[in-house]
Amino acid sequence: MDDFTCPRCRTSKFQNPSLKMMVNVCGHGLCESCVDLLFLKGSGACPECKIPLRRNNFRVQLFEDASVEKEVDIRKRVLRDFNKKEEDFSSLEEYNDYLEEVETIIYNLTNNIDIVNTNKKIEQYKRDNREQILKNKGKLGKVEYELEELLEIEKQIEEARKKEIQLEEALIDELMFSNADAQNILDTFAQQAQQAKEEKAKQPPPKVTQFSTGIQFSRQNHASFLPVPTDEGPSYSYKPVTFPTDGPRPPSDEELIERDFIKHVRSESEQERAGGFKSTIACKRALQDGSHGALPFQENTGSTLRIIYYV
Amino acid sequence: MFPTSTQCKYWMFGSEEELNKLRERANQKHIQIHGRQMNDSVKYEFFLTPEEEKIMVKRYELHLRDFCKRFQPPMPRCVVGTSFHYFKRFYIHNSVMNYHPKEIMVTCIYLACKVEEFNVSIQQFVANIKGDREKATDIILNNELLLMEQMNFHLSIHNPFRPVEGLLIDIKTRGSLHDPERLRPGIEHFLERALLTDAILLYSPSQVALAAVLHAASKLQENLDSYVTDTLFGEDGRGKLEDLIDAVRGIRSMVKMADSTPDRNQQKMLDKKLEKCRNPENNPDSEIYKKRMQAILDEDDDLYNTISAQNHSMDSSALNMSIPASPEVA
Repeated sequence: MDDFTCPRCRTSKFQNPSLKMMVNVCGHGLCESCVDLLFLKGSGACPECKIPLRRNNFRVQLFEDASVEKEVDIRKRVLRDFNKKEEDFSSLEEYNDYLEEVETIIYNLTNNIDIVNTNKKIEQYKRDNREQILKNKGKLGKVEYELEELLEIEKQIEEARKKEIQLEEALIDELMFSNADAQNILDTFAQQAQQAKEEKAKQPPPKVTQFSTGIQFSRQNHASFLPVPTDEGPSYSYKPVTFPTDGPRPPSDEELIERDFIKHVRSESEQERAGGFKSTIACKRALQDGSHGALPFQENTGSTLRIIYYV
Repeated sequence: MFPTSTQCKYWMFGSEEELNKLRERANQKHIQIHGRQMNDSVKYEFFLTPEEEKIMVKRYELHLRDFCKRFQPPMPRCVVGTSFHYFKRFYIHNSVMNYHPKEIMVTCIYLACKVEEFNVSIQQFVANIKGDREKATDIILNNELLLMEQMNFHLSIHNPFRPVEGLLIDIKTRGSLHDPERLRPGIEHFLERALLTDAILLYSPSQVALAAVLHAASKLQENLDSYVTDTLFGEDGRGKLEDLIDAVRGIRSMVKMADSTPDRNQQKMLDKKLEKCRNPENNPDSEIYKKRMQAILDEDDDLYNTISAQNHSMDSSALNMSIPASPEVA
């Protein structure tokens, strides 16, 4: 590791212990000060392979072998598009074929084999599977999901342990500093511990993700949407709304004008017309109010039972 | 649309008897709560009878009418009509002894102004009241919610005024009457008195309007019968005209009875009796009322105190040390 040298300035880790090697997409290393020097303008060519590079794509080299860095970079980029999960395939064999293809592509790109055709292949794949790629982007794979669950369980265990330790510490503190009877303190703490245990027992059992037969269910629920419910039964048909009027039918809009009802109302002012309030509306409302409910309660139960007292 | 309104659904009653029964029940309920230890025979010497309550309500309806007439700025008719509805509705389910009609009356008018979009501020409103205006403001604003609650928040009222306009338009268009505008003074007089009766709780606004129009016509020795039977209802009304004629007759006779002048001596006596038996909890002059209001205020303070005390104890326990109690807790 110590025989790291910058290919440009020949500085090595031995000469300068704080030397930081940087790497870009082409996989060739360069020390930090050379990067500063060469890429003053933000972009430039790699001193080894002359590929145009950008300064902000440089990052600290993690692996000794710079080509590994290159592969990591390429893998990241390729997997962004090749993001199918095992669940997307009907058989394991298909999934394996797919994985192999992905690996081939990555290998080709890293080792500069048939780059033109490989890039074409990627483009083709992107075009063919655009929807699937978009859909899978936000999704967690089966493996990620399992990991998440494990983390969750770990967290819970950790919390429980913390609580226990806290209780113990409190007991010791109490015994040290309090001047109450030691037996009393012990008793109260024993009680508390008992209570805590009971509470724990009351807590719902950890999430079940498997039936006793071993079929997993929770995962599938999270990974896909619920099926769209299909409507069964007769389709909706529109029925015009009818209002009870309890009286004679008032004239319609056309009749208002044809039969000169409108002549007996004040005509609307210009401002009122601008707001959409025409005199027909006022006229119709008055006529409606005049007739609605005039014939007593046709549909109500009270209609026949009505008794007039003052006759 | 009156037939689909809450007024039609919940606030139209079958008969005067039904109304009286409901009012009696309100009276009984009040007496049961406040006069439990009292003997049945002496009960009504102390409390108001349902009949006496009715007289009180009638009297305050007259007050309501006069108040609205004198109101400055002058208020539109529909506000008056709506106030009458509110006032009547309130005393169907409540006893006069529980809530004084003097207070409910002004609250009804104030609420009606709002609902009918007659914009007056509370200051403008109480300027029309004689006496302590500040107290009146308090009373109105305190009772407003109660009033709405007692009406089940059914606030929109269909008054007979617009139906009258509709009928007049119709008569002008399809009727043969000469100059229908002549009917107006008679109609207005009739409607004003109709508001004083229970007719507006028993008949739909259009029926009341029709009765008013027919009454005004008969005053002028005109006959609109053929217009009503043939033109207005025509085929739609066949078989139901009987009911309508009965309804119109009922309204007209109720309105005829509206003009009985109240007896002054009896009024004074009732006022005194009410002063004695009214529920002190709702009397703004009584000690109990003041105490109750204070208690409500205190309750808020108490709540604040307990919350701050809780917060304080939580703080100190979190810090795991004891801080001397702050003054608000002590």
